[in-house]
Amino acid sequence: MIRFVLRRLLAAIPIGVIVTLGVFALVFAMPGDPLRELAGDKPIPAAVLAAKRAQFHLDEPFLVQYLLSMKDILTGNFGTTFAGADIADQLRLRIPVTLKLTLLANAVQWTLGLIFGIYAGFKRNGLIDRSLLLVTLVLLAVPGLVAYFAAQFVFGVQLKWFPVSGVLEGFPNSYLLPALVIGVLGFAGLARLMRTSIVETVNADFVKTARAKGLGEQRVLWRHILPNALLPVVTFIGLDLAGMFGGAIITESIFNLPGLGQFMFQAIKLKEGGVVVLLSTLAFLSFIVINLLVDLLYGILDPRVRHV
Amino acid sequence: MALDPPAERRFAEEVGPTVRRLTGVVGVALGLSLVLASCGDGKSSGSGSGDGARSTVIAIAAEPLEYINPLNENGSPGIQVAMAMFAPLVTTDPNTGKLLNVMADSVTPDKNSQTWTIKLKPGNTFQNGQPLTAKDYVDSWNLTAQGSTAWKNNGFFSKIEGYDALNPETPDGATPKPTAVKALSGLKQVDDLTFTVKLKVPFSQFGLTLQYFGLAPLPEEVRKDPDAYKRKPIGNGPYKLAADWNAGDDIKLAKWDGYKQTAPDADAITFRFIPNADTAYNEFQAGTVDFVGVPSTKIKSFKDDAPDQWVTSVSSGANYLTLPAWDERFKNPKLRHAFSMAIDRKAYADLVGLAEPAKALVAPDMVGYRADACKYCDFDAAKAKQLLAEAGGFSGPVNINYSTTSATGQIFAEALGNMIRQNLGLEVKYTGKQGSEITELADTRKLDGLRFSGWGHDYPSIEDYLTPMFKSTGDANFSGYSNPKLDQVLAQGDAQPDPDAAIKLYQQAEDIALEDMPLIPLITKSDAFLHSAKIEPRVSKYVGVSALWATFK
Repeated sequence: MIRFVLRRLLAAIPIGVIVTLGVFALVFAMPGDPLRELAGDKPIPAAVLAAKRAQFHLDEPFLVQYLLSMKDILTGNFGTTFAGADIADQLRLRIPVTLKLTLLANAVQWTLGLIFGIYAGFKRNGLIDRSLLLVTLVLLAVPGLVAYFAAQFVFGVQLKWFPVSGVLEGFPNSYLLPALVIGVLGFAGLARLMRTSIVETVNADFVKTARAKGLGEQRVLWRHILPNALLPVVTFIGLDLAGMFGGAIITESIFNLPGLGQFMFQAIKLKEGGVVVLLSTLAFLSFIVINLLVDLLYGILDPRVRHV
Repeated sequence: MALDPPAERRFAEEVGPTVRRLTGVVGVALGLSLVLASCGDGKSSGSGSGDGARSTVIAIAAEPLEYINPLNENGSPGIQVAMAMFAPLVTTDPNTGKLLNVMADSVTPDKNSQTWTIKLKPGNTFQNGQPLTAKDYVDSWNLTAQGSTAWKNNGFFSKIEGYDALNPETPDGATPKPTAVKALSGLKQVDDLTFTVKLKVPFSQFGLTLQYFGLAPLPEEVRKDPDAYKRKPIGNGPYKLAADWNAGDDIKLAKWDGYKQTAPDADAITFRFIPNADTAYNEFQAGTVDFVGVPSTKIKSFKDDAPDQWVTSVSSGANYLTLPAWDERFKNPKLRHAFSMAIDRKAYADLVGLAEPAKALVAPDMVGYRADACKYCDFDAAKAKQLLAEAGGFSGPVNINYSTTSATGQIFAEALGNMIRQNLGLEVKYTGKQGSEITELADTRKLDGLRFSGWGHDYPSIEDYLTPMFKSTGDANFSGYSNPKLDQVLAQGDAQPDPDAAIKLYQQAEDIALEDMPLIPLITKSDAFLHSAKIEPRVSKYVGVSALWATFK
């Protein structure tokens, strides 16, 4: 088990280098000069420009810029953004915002997804199952952008059930609406996967055997069907959780939540390579950790793939 | 160069109606008209900032500010906050367009407008109680003019004698070192309340530039350690910080009772930063903000969304189609006039929305603006064709560059392209690029074909349109235009101390530019704002819409 974890962590190092280098190269390759972007088209005095260039290493060649950025990240010396914000401060303020949003949204998504998926799987072709198929089909077809703005307008502006945007009302009020929308949109895929997985497992031979040897329905359900049916779902949840960060870029912008997603959006717009790589590294690390946890959980659920 | 309070200049692909630039050094312009302010209507703000009878919540569609220091700030959001916390030397009277003294008692040029004497009113203080003296101005300006300080309004001082000594050439990649010289030789304190500014060359418009909020004085303790005061600025204006201001917080201001000049109505003002302009608009509709700029996506619907609660004003800026002087095919002025007359400005303005056809190179809210300055700006397809024939035609397709950063860039480019294609019979193609990339290509004279451009002045003078864009050394002369005759007329205007005579000379320069037509005037846009029922924003023909100066009902 420990060897497995270590091996996975070691393998993450080269992947991390490739990811950060790739992201940095993409930002570097974006057309336009970052400082020009910052300045709009107003001429900046040469002295100010030179000072800024030196401060952000923009006068160095690509690889040197990358290595300097990585050095700053690894030594925890994050510096400031082009606009002058202290990056460490920003992270301290923003990470909780994104965590709150992501966890709340996931809670909504898992609750809805698992409950409806399991129920529909057992009561196949019932009313709930059929409505679920229809509802999830519609949800899967709605683009997030549209749903976010529509929800903001209907529930925030018109009905005033939730604040329109911002975090002034704190947790959970300010996060409820975006989390609900993300959760409801996201639950469709999860519920469908859960349902299909249950349906497949219910017909498996080992379930028939369990029933044949006289086990009660409850025991068959909890001990034999669910653990097996959950296997693909756990993988899905792991990927989904790690991918939430990407979705946060849009959600946080629309709901004006000052989290990592908004930070990323701003950094990309200003071509702040260092910040983009820092945030990508964070996303990458959370991806690695979450997937490691998923794989360990997998082993607990399914002894066949247990890592001894 | 830097700019003036009501307006910051920018040369952008599209001059939008709202503060689009999120962290721009530059920004936006359009003067007070861009002051997106909003006021809490007190009923559902939920923020605790809307209490009190005369409190205003001003929403700014931009990323939260990181510091408040007007001398290191030339973006619209920062200047908006500076307008509440700092007071300028002079300002534009919103009713007459004339210059009014604020901190200054008098601003007097010498015979040829080269040395200016500024006398301060006695009795003004900073918010920390220290008296405001000529030394505060001289030292604050010297600090900013020093290149190694790396403050954004450094460029403003380049007109003053001695600037070069504080800003030596730095080799590429080197960090500018503090120079031995610490003071501008042209800046001299005479007594406690008087100082003089000697310019490198005569400049009759210098008095107007003094209304820029980016020239605010900083008190001595702030000058000593500016970083320590990033988030607790000490101003000399009508409002001061009402509460601690931490990263990401709204900026909450309360009226400062030590301010002795005319102050706005509000007792308390909150600036709230909402980067997404559509979200800010929704906040207004939910009643949590009282004043908001209308984003371009809502131009067609805002009058229905908030009946009787909107104001518009002509945007202080102008929009052009820019022709490249470095492309031989565009050399002939007749060809340029042909392009201009092939454009149906009325149809184009209707497409853009909240816009009017423009027939001048300067903005309509300027003293010295002539509505029909341009003789070649009326739509006349037959005349256009004839001019094109006289110019010997045009070889190859006409390329129109548009910014992909703007959602509407391609639509507007195709609208203009169709007019050129149909009315001149030319082949047209389109190239979409990032706005900053187009600027960069134009700067290096590599851009192929036409581009859109816009300009908002830094100080309210028609000179601030003509010098940057048409003088051969102008710092926004992106068409690469040069005409010695025009440079000479501008220099005469700069040395002319009589304002009316100076304007006559600048108008001559505009006429020369219109004959050569490096830029084709297109449209003048308006900005729209929504305000809650409890306030009435100040709307001025000269300085646009201001929520800071709103009156309460």
